Amino acid sequence: MKYLEELKAKFGERIEEIKQLAHNQWLITVDKDILHEVVVYFLKHPEWKETQLSTMVGTDERPLRGKFSVIYWLSVNGNSDDVYIGIKAYLPADDPRFKSVTPFHKGANWYEREVQDLLGIIPEGHPDPRRLVLPDDWPSCVYPLRKDFHYSDSPQGKKYYPYREPPQGTTVHPIGPYHVALDEPAHFRLYVKGEEIIDCDYRGFYSHRGIEKISESRLTYDQICFIAERICGICGFTHSTAYCQAVEAAGEIEVPERALYIRTIMLELERLHSHLLWMGVACHLTGFDTGFMHAWRLREYVMWLCERLTGNRKTYGINLVGGVRRDFLDYRKEMIEDVLKKLKSEFGKLVDDLTSTRTFIKRCEGVGVLPYKLAHEWSVDGPLGRGSGRDFDVRRDHPYAAYGDLDFKVPVYKEGDVLARALVRIEEIWESIWIIEQALDQLPGGDILAEYKEIPPYREVIGTTEAPRGENVHYVMTGPGNTVYRYRARAATYNNLPAVPDMLRGYTIADAPLIIASIDPCYSCTERVQIVDVESGKVRILKEEEFNKLSIKASRRV
Amino acid sequence: MPVTLRYPFTELEAPPEYRGLPHIDPKLCIGCGACVNACPPDAILRIDDYDRGTRKIVLDIGRCIRCARCEEVCPTGAIRLTNLFEAASPDRRDHIQVVELRLVRCKVCGNYTDFTERQVKKALQILPKEILEEEALEERVFICRNCRRKGTVDATINATKEVVL
Amino acid sequence: MMEKIVFALITVMIIFLLPPLLDGISRKVKAKIQYRVGASIFQTYYDLQSLLNMEPILPTERLAFRIAPYIAFASALAAALLLPFGSFVPVAFTGDFFVFLYVLAMFSVAMMIAGFSVNNSYTNAGANREMMLILSIEPVLGVAIGVFALNAHSLSIGGIPLNITFTPSLILAYVLLAYAVYVEGGFIPFDIAEAETEILEGPLCEYSGRLLGMFKWAMLIKRLALLWLFVSFLVLPIMKNIIDITTFTGGLATLAVQLIVLFIIYSIIAIIEASNARLRIDQAIRQNTRVFLAGLVVLLIAALGW
Repeated sequence: MKYLEELKAKFGERIEEIKQLAHNQWLITVDKDILHEVVVYFLKHPEWKETQLSTMVGTDERPLRGKFSVIYWLSVNGNSDDVYIGIKAYLPADDPRFKSVTPFHKGANWYEREVQDLLGIIPEGHPDPRRLVLPDDWPSCVYPLRKDFHYSDSPQGKKYYPYREPPQGTTVHPIGPYHVALDEPAHFRLYVKGEEIIDCDYRGFYSHRGIEKISESRLTYDQICFIAERICGICGFTHSTAYCQAVEAAGEIEVPERALYIRTIMLELERLHSHLLWMGVACHLTGFDTGFMHAWRLREYVMWLCERLTGNRKTYGINLVGGVRRDFLDYRKEMIEDVLKKLKSEFGKLVDDLTSTRTFIKRCEGVGVLPYKLAHEWSVDGPLGRGSGRDFDVRRDHPYAAYGDLDFKVPVYKEGDVLARALVRIEEIWESIWIIEQALDQLPGGDILAEYKEIPPYREVIGTTEAPRGENVHYVMTGPGNTVYRYRARAATYNNLPAVPDMLRGYTIADAPLIIASIDPCYSCTERVQIVDVESGKVRILKEEEFNKLSIKASRRV
Repeated sequence: MPVTLRYPFTELEAPPEYRGLPHIDPKLCIGCGACVNACPPDAILRIDDYDRGTRKIVLDIGRCIRCARCEEVCPTGAIRLTNLFEAASPDRRDHIQVVELRLVRCKVCGNYTDFTERQVKKALQILPKEILEEEALEERVFICRNCRRKGTVDATINATKEVVL
Repeated sequence: MMEKIVFALITVMIIFLLPPLLDGISRKVKAKIQYRVGASIFQTYYDLQSLLNMEPILPTERLAFRIAPYIAFASALAAALLLPFGSFVPVAFTGDFFVFLYVLAMFSVAMMIAGFSVNNSYTNAGANREMMLILSIEPVLGVAIGVFALNAHSLSIGGIPLNITFTPSLILAYVLLAYAVYVEGGFIPFDIAEAETEILEGPLCEYSGRLLGMFKWAMLIKRLALLWLFVSFLVLPIMKNIIDITTFTGGLATLAVQLIVLFIIYSIIAIIEASNARLRIDQAIRQNTRVFLAGLVVLLIAALGW
């Protein structure tokens, strides 16, 4: 594996251990002092095309080894036999610090702030060490993801957040937390002069729900599939699949082929639904309500089909570790084919309509440009990256489910404006329809769920999928007794959102909602990590709730 | 060709595959608690009252996420997800369903055991008839764990005494 | 005398009660294009009724905030009263064409006052946009009506349509007038000042209850006034050649034709609105400036007698 050979050659003795975790994942443990050197060397290598900082995980391994650990997961992309490399370092428990990578590669900004917030691991030299994830009134030295913090604790504090000062002569124009243009709460503080945007500050994580902590505390492997699906309403199935893939790789469970094909078909149906939703929203934000209504009418066909196939319009709930729970019987296959036929004809009409509406095209062209160099530095992925020239798609470069057997193209545009991203998504819809047709033709027979007894503890693996918004990376470290020791879900929008302030500068307020919507932000996906059970923190005392809480504790004793 | 439906002024029925509100059939439930173990959001609870000898299986459809894991693991098919989806009600208590079952009472000491009478009946149903002796079962099954342990220890001691003599 | 009273009553009903019905029809047409059933055509009446019954929540103590909706309403009403309804012009005097332009501008000034009276960057942005838009489109409206006035040698809006002769410059002036009426009426793609999704409805963002109801009603009346101007300039010259407008029945017939043409034009506008996205303010201003320059050329042609 050429990347490993070169890293070994350059860093030689400082590398402590190299381990292969799965067929395309390697873990390199290094000394903490050269952690940032190895990461930067990898990311800035002149020959390895399209490198990406996929995710970064911090773990409290004090019960196991008495240390904290930090892993940077990097990937090289562009060819279908590329790998994920995890660069791991252990940090001492009494002084967990490491040298920050952000001054060299902007994409690491949020990861390091998150690790500081939730675990107390401090990146030295970070240019913007403000709080990222925890709410404004969380007290500052309490770290939720550490193992000595119980998941239902709720400490109180005083509300405070240091926003950046507005530059000279500008006014603050806040978009959010409540705004018509945003589906979910997020706060973009625009500093404007007249109508032109000079700068932007972002404060998010209002939908933070504590999924990682609760997965570690009281859920079993199969139950986490369902909570992973609820990380996001629109791309939930990709999260659930990524998690299942991670655990299946850790336990070396062989998933039956039919299950892989069923997963592929459902993933592509989800992509159709998500892109149609995005098109409707983009039209609505520019005032073109007819496009909005027709795009969502087409999306209704997909939702109806998924209801017949899986039992629900969204949150399909058919994934389990080891396969799927529902099969595609023959009458369901015919339904899929009918819907695809209807979609093909009507979607063609919708696209013609949109591209011939001059006012809509005028609003999208040349707006919100993200040049290739910035896209690479922020490690953006998905249609945002592909609209700026990054040729990277997890389905092609690190094939999972049945994508290795199917043939499809990956559209890439170079202009980097809103129109380019729209065209990328339109072409992806056509490709998805083609993929579903192929998968239906090639659907093999057999089982749909593999049994498993016990998954060995303390295995680390990642599972990746291509969500409609980009790359989803789930890191799982299995624990003893069929529980999970550390679960880190990184959604696609996590890498895309930090690039938004760069895309907003120089454009007008009228464009701001459109630019923000063009990255297809999924705030719920981004903000899943740690925190408390809301019911016990807030004073909403319903008698049933108290009763249920006591009963949960009581039935544990039984 | 408008696609608007005049809901809620027309009936809207979900397709047969839809995962709707769960419902426990009290005639079939045996109180095993498999659903309680499988449920991700803890919407089903198993509450034993050892003073009155009852086991309550409490289902709160407000907490349910309609994943249908309970339906998959139930040995008798008692809990099923129906086709209904309208759960709104002004009273939160409408969302709770309680199935109460009797615990087996120990024939020796009179305390209540931690399994229900219906669980015993279901086990008898599943086990093949040829290997069962009805009368011997009557004596052995309806005893609590402590008494059974004590009975085994006493029987062992008696057996060793016999051998020695 | 009786005729005047009848006409006056009909005029009052048209000005106050017709605009919500027109809005309802527009919503229904847009719904049909979008494959929806949509609300009933009387829905805007219900909306206005519920708004006018609610108490407003005031974000500021300033008098300007509370008066602005009434100024807007009064301006729209004044503009509508200067127009011919059949043969009846409620308020007419020489030079009332300038007054027409003036009160329409007063409407936008009321919106701007409303926007600037609150310390909210969204309303300020909306008021800014309204200012830029009105400065770029009033000249076009002025030039368009000016060509008509030159042609008819009269400065009174009631008198202009009865005295015009058809020349090439007049046809161009009709096109200009249609464009100016469309932009000033705030139809998509030009509803920039009250854009819902971008700046949370601009100057109307802080309004609620009765004040918001007055503002919305005033906007609908302003649209009616602009469109009625266009319809009158279309219908009256043609009807004048067919029947004698000055009689009672002739006047009523003309009024009926005006109403029918109004409904048809409003439906066409609804179709145009449904098939367009909203323009950005700088794009709209650029387009308006180009149209204004074209308008100057038309004015020149008219002045030369063609």
